[in-house]
Amino acid sequence: MDRRSTIVRTLTRKLFPFILLYGCYLISHGHLSPGGGFQGGVIIGSAIILLGLVDGVRNAEKRFHENLLSLTKNIGMIIFILLGFAGMFMGYSFLSDFLPRGEIGTVPSTGLILLLNLTIGFMVGTGIAVIFYRTVRHKL
Amino acid sequence: MKRILIVVVLIVLGYFILNAVQLDYGRPRSGISEYYVANGVAETGALNLVTAIYLNYRVYDTLGEATVFFASALGVYMLLRKLKKGEPDG
Repeated sequence: MDRRSTIVRTLTRKLFPFILLYGCYLISHGHLSPGGGFQGGVIIGSAIILLGLVDGVRNAEKRFHENLLSLTKNIGMIIFILLGFAGMFMGYSFLSDFLPRGEIGTVPSTGLILLLNLTIGFMVGTGIAVIFYRTVRHKL
Repeated sequence: MKRILIVVVLIVLGYFILNAVQLDYGRPRSGISEYYVANGVAETGALNLVTAIYLNYRVYDTLGEATVFFASALGVYMLLRKLKKGEPDG
């Protein structure tokens, strides 16, 4: 069944990796420029939503299976809390910054902020995609 | 009668809104914002001060946000059922 326009499908397939790349850029440079974990994660999630809207959820699930996305979301939440406890084991308080820092203005300039941004970003992106899958395929 | 009532309600609402707008919100009460602007980059290493605040100074708040999002996604995942094989997708 092919009721979607060819232009939209082709454009989506060409544009999809660049949307993902932009989301990853926003996440990884969240502490240097506007953006951050939530915003970049939403962009990643919207890329998967776009793929699901254009190609159909079944075809989108061949590349991004729902169980894989849900697992990523759960693991992201667990890693967030484990990073907090790691600070406690290193002798600081919960969720405090314990990693060494690089030069200010480069990507590794903040220790824990980058890792927290990464976990939040992947958690939000996959979580939004999971919500979209479940909501679209829900039949009353 | 109805129009007079509407006018009276609008006047009362406007009076309250006027009072609310004229409150003095411009005074810095604690001076913590000046502290963040002065010391945020040196203490956290993040050039983006918004990120410095929500992932370093106020990271418990972010943990709560992430938990709320996780719980909502988990709720949707649990409540809405999966499509059976052969059923057409939306």
